[in-house]
Amino acid sequence: MAAVVTASGPPARASSSKTESYVDNKRRDDVRRANIVAACAVADAVRTSLGPKGMDKMIASASGEVIITNDGATILNKMEVLQPAAKMLVDLSRSQDAAAGDGTTTVVVLAGSLLRRSLSLLSAGIHPTVVSDALHRLSVRAVDVLHGMAIPLDLSDRDSLVKSAATSLNSKVVSQYSSLLAPLAVDAVLSVVDPAHPDLVDLRDVKIVKKLGGTVDDTELVRGLVFDKKVSHAAGGPTRVENAKIAVIQFQISPPKTDIEQSIVVSDYTQMDRILREERNYILGMVKKIKATGCNVLLIQKSILRDAVTDLSLHYLAKAKILVVKDVERDEIEFITKTLNCLPIANIEHFREEKLGFADLVEEVSVGDGKIVKITGIKNMGRTTTVLVRGSNQLVIDEAERSLHDALCVVRCLVNKRFLIAGGGAPEIEMSRQLGAWAKELQGMESYCVKEFAEALEVIPYTLAENAGLKPIAIVTELRNRHAQGEINTGINVRKGQITNILEENVVQPLLVSTSAITLATECVRMILKIDDIITVR
Amino acid sequence: MAVERLLKDDATEEKGDRARMASFVGAMAIADVVKTTLGPKGMDKILQSTGRGRTVTVTNDGATILKSLHIDNPAAKVLVDISKVQDDEVGDGTTSVVVLAGELLREAEKMVNAKIHPMTIIAGYRMAAECARNILLQKAMDNKQDPEKFTSDLMNIAMTTLSSKILSQDKEHFAKLAVDAVLRLKGSTNLDAIQIIKKAGGSLKDSFLDEGFILDKKIGIGQPKCIENAKILVANTAMDTDKVKIYGARVRVDSMARVAEIEGAEKEKMREKVQKIIAHGINCFVNRQLIYNFPEELFADAGILAIEHADFDGIERLALVTGGEIASTFDNPESVKLGHCKLIEEIMIGEDKLIHFSGVEMGQACTIVLRGASSHVLDEAERSLHDALCVLSQTVNDSRVLLGGGWPEMVMAKEVDELARKTPGKKAHAIEAFSRALQAIPTIIADNAGLDGAELISQLRAEHHKERTNAGIDVISGGVGDMEKLGISESFKVKQAVLLSATEAAEMILRVDEIVTCAPRKREDRM
Repeated sequence: MAAVVTASGPPARASSSKTESYVDNKRRDDVRRANIVAACAVADAVRTSLGPKGMDKMIASASGEVIITNDGATILNKMEVLQPAAKMLVDLSRSQDAAAGDGTTTVVVLAGSLLRRSLSLLSAGIHPTVVSDALHRLSVRAVDVLHGMAIPLDLSDRDSLVKSAATSLNSKVVSQYSSLLAPLAVDAVLSVVDPAHPDLVDLRDVKIVKKLGGTVDDTELVRGLVFDKKVSHAAGGPTRVENAKIAVIQFQISPPKTDIEQSIVVSDYTQMDRILREERNYILGMVKKIKATGCNVLLIQKSILRDAVTDLSLHYLAKAKILVVKDVERDEIEFITKTLNCLPIANIEHFREEKLGFADLVEEVSVGDGKIVKITGIKNMGRTTTVLVRGSNQLVIDEAERSLHDALCVVRCLVNKRFLIAGGGAPEIEMSRQLGAWAKELQGMESYCVKEFAEALEVIPYTLAENAGLKPIAIVTELRNRHAQGEINTGINVRKGQITNILEENVVQPLLVSTSAITLATECVRMILKIDDIITVR
Repeated sequence: MAVERLLKDDATEEKGDRARMASFVGAMAIADVVKTTLGPKGMDKILQSTGRGRTVTVTNDGATILKSLHIDNPAAKVLVDISKVQDDEVGDGTTSVVVLAGELLREAEKMVNAKIHPMTIIAGYRMAAECARNILLQKAMDNKQDPEKFTSDLMNIAMTTLSSKILSQDKEHFAKLAVDAVLRLKGSTNLDAIQIIKKAGGSLKDSFLDEGFILDKKIGIGQPKCIENAKILVANTAMDTDKVKIYGARVRVDSMARVAEIEGAEKEKMREKVQKIIAHGINCFVNRQLIYNFPEELFADAGILAIEHADFDGIERLALVTGGEIASTFDNPESVKLGHCKLIEEIMIGEDKLIHFSGVEMGQACTIVLRGASSHVLDEAERSLHDALCVLSQTVNDSRVLLGGGWPEMVMAKEVDELARKTPGKKAHAIEAFSRALQAIPTIIADNAGLDGAELISQLRAEHHKERTNAGIDVISGGVGDMEKLGISESFKVKQAVLLSATEAAEMILRVDEIVTCAPRKREDRM
C-alpha cells in the first residue's frame, strides 16, 4: 500500500493500479473458467472450416437427415449445445449471419481466440471489467483501422462486386462454380435495388428455387417467376401460353362450399341429375367470366378448406385454353403480385381486366426429373428476381443455396456500405500490427490487455495458413514483416501457397463483414467475461 | 414432552434459536447471491432455466435474478418480495435493498448472539432509520425550479443507473434517450406510452427514439403504403362470416344452386360488414384478428389500409396513443371513437418492414427502438432501460436528488453514529450496528471493483467528518472523488425506499421465533 490516498483529493491516476487488481473467490473463478473453456471448445469445432481450403462438416441430425456444410452458422445451429456460454457463441454466429450474412466462422474463431487470451489475463489477476473495458476500446480502434484500409467502391463497378462475391464462394463446397455463381449473385442483388432507397436491399425480393437434377452449372437467374410446380393439365390444357394475361386468384374454381355446414338432400334420381347439371353450370359460369376478361393464365392460391380445382373445372379451363397453376402458398402471393405488377383477386365478382398481369411467355419446362413453370418477359415487372438452383443431389443443392445466400449477403453488404477491404488475413494482421503499436502508447493494465488481444487477432491468418497446409508460424511472421514495411494489402494467397499482394489476386471482401465480425466478437466476449455465476432457475 | 402431537404428519416446526438461525442464514444467502452485481463494476449472472428449451438469460438486474430463483426458505422469500416491491414502486435499487437488508440481519445475528433481545434491536433500528431518513431529507437537493439544472440532474441520474448495466459503454446515448422519452410524458408515470421495440442487428449505438408509434406488422397486399391525416379504426372482430357458434349447426338444401346462394349470402354478409366499417369514414383499419383475402381485397379497392392480426398489446397501445377506442360492433358509426394521426408509412429497420404512425393524438407517446447484437443483449438492454425510465419518471414527480457513489450511505452512517452516542442503553448497540450495515454498501461496491474496501471506507469516513463534503467512491479511478463534479446522482425516492423497506424487512425477519412448515397437500389421485 504505497500510495495511501490523502484526504485532499489525490490525483486519480496515481491510485489506479488498485482498481485493476482483482481478488476473487475460487468458485467464481471456476464458473468463469468453465464458461471460457466451453466457449473455446465451440470455437475449435468450427476452426477447421475457415478459409478456401477449410474442410466441411457432416452433420447427422436426430431425424437421420444428413447435412454437409462449410457454413459456420449452419454448423453451430445444428450442434445442440447446452452450456450457456457455448450457446452465446452460437448466437454470436447467428447475429453475424443476420448482420452481414458472411464471416460466420470468422467471428466465432475470433471470439474463441480472444477468450483464450482473456483467460491468461484473468489468471494474471486482472479484474474482468478492466479486461472488458480494454476490449471495448480495442474494438473501436480496430474498426478505425479497418476504415483506414478500406477502398471505396462504386456500384457500377461490377467487377469488384463479382470479385468479393467470388471470395465468399471460394471457401464453399461449390467453389469451382464461383465464376458462375458470383456474377449471378451480383446481378440478382443489383436488379432488386430500389432507386428510391439506393442503400436498402431486401433479400426477400430474391427468391431461390431449388430443383434436383442437372449440375450446379445449370443454375440460372430468371428475370421473372419460377414455380416449382407442374401445370395442372389433367384435362389436356395448354402448357405454353404466349402473350399471357395472368390472374392471381384467392378463390377456388370448384363446387360451392359454405362456411356453415351444409348437406344436399337428394330424394330421387332426377334430382341427382339436376345437381350434377347445376354444378356444371356453376363452374362453367365462373370459367366464362374468367375467359371474358381475356385471362389465359390462372395462379390459384392453396386452400385447406376445399379443392382449388376439380377435374371438371380443369376440363372447362382446358377448353377455354387457360393455363392453371394451383396450390400457390399464401406467403408467396405478395412476392408474385409484386413481380407481376398485378392485384390478387379474392372473388369472382371482382374479376376485372385491370387486375391482371401481363407476360410474354408462360411455359412449363421439364428439368431433370420434374417440371417447373416459368413466367418470363413480364410487363412492368416489379423489382424482384428469381434464382433457379440446380444440383445433382439434395446435399449439393442445399449447400449451393446456403453458399449463394452468403454471396447475396456479401453483395448486399456492399450496397449498404460501399467499401471493400482486402481478404486473405490481411486486415487481421494489419489490425494486430497497428493495435500492438497503439498498446505501447497506453498505460497500465489497459496496455497489457490491448497488447494481448492484438496478438489474438492473428488467429485468423494463422488458421487460414494451417487449414491450407502451410507453415502457420512462418507465414504469420512473414506477414507481420511485410505489413511492418507498409505493404498493408499483403495476405495469404492460399491457392499459390505463398504471401502476395492480395488485392492483385482479386481476393476482396466487404468492409461490413470485417467490422461487424470484430464488433460482435468483442461484444460477446465482454459479456462472457462479466458473468461470475450460473444460477439454475425455474 | 407434555404435548403429544400438535401438528399434522409431515408438518415441521422450528423454534427459538434454530428458527432465527434458519431465517438469518436464508436471508444472508440470498443477499450474497446478488451482492456481486452491485455497483458499476458489478458482475452479471447467467440464469439457466431448467424448464423446456433451457433458455439462457444474462442479467445484472437484482429483481430479475431474485424472482427467478428457486427458494424454499421463508425469510429468503421475504427478501425476494421486497425486491419485487422495490421494482414495482421505483424500478431501481432492487439489489441495494436486498443487500442492505442482508447486512442489517448479519449485524443483528451478532447482537442476538451477544444476548441482546431482538425487540431491543428492532427499537434501535427504527430510531436509526428515522434519523437516517431525516438527514436524507435535509441533504436532498431540489432543482425543480430551474429547468436546465433539472434536466442535467435527470441526465446524471440516468447515467448513474445505466452505468451498472450492459449499456454502460453507451450510457450517454441511452441516458439521453431515456430523458427525452420521460420528459415527453410531462409528469405522468404511465410508462405504457413508451414503447420499446427490440430488433436484432446493428449495435447498441444504433438505437434511437422515435416520436409516434411503431407496429410490427405488414400492410395488406395492394393497399396504400402511405397515408396522410389517417383516421384509424382499431377493432377486435372476426372478419369471416359470423358463424353461428352452436355445435352442429347445419343447413339442408336440395340443390347445388342453393349452396351457391348460401355461399353468396355469406360473402354478402362479409361485404356488408366491410361496408359498415368503411362507412365510418376511415382510411386505416387495424384488426386484432385475421382479415381474410376477400375483405382484404374489398379494403384495397376502397383504398383503405388494413392491418390484420396485430397483437393484443399492440392494439391496446395503438388505441391509447391515437386516442381511439377498440371497437367490435360497427352499427353506430357515431358512437365509435376513431384514432387520428398525421402520417402512416412503412419503414424499414434492419431487415424488417414495420408500420410507423407519426403525429399521433397523444403527444406523449414515443417508441424506443433498441438494436443490438443478439437477443441476450437486447433483453438485458430492455431491462436496463426500463429501470432508467422508471427512476426518471419517479424523479420527474419527486424532483429531489442525492449524490451517488456511497455518499448518501456515508452521510446517513455519520448521523446515525452521532445518535448512537447520544442514546443511552442497549439500543445504542443496535444503532451502531445500523451504521455499520449502511457502510457495508460502499464497501461492497468497492470490493466488486477490485478495490480495497476497508481502506476506502476509512478514507471516506474521514472525509465525511468535515462539514459539507461531496466525497464518494470513484470506482473508475479507484479512489475517493467529488460526486458532484463526477455527476453521479441518485433519486431521493429510490434511496428512501431502499432504506425504509430494507429496515422493515429486517425487522420482520427478526421478530420471527418460530417457523411452522405446513404439510404439503397430498395428491389424491390414488383414491
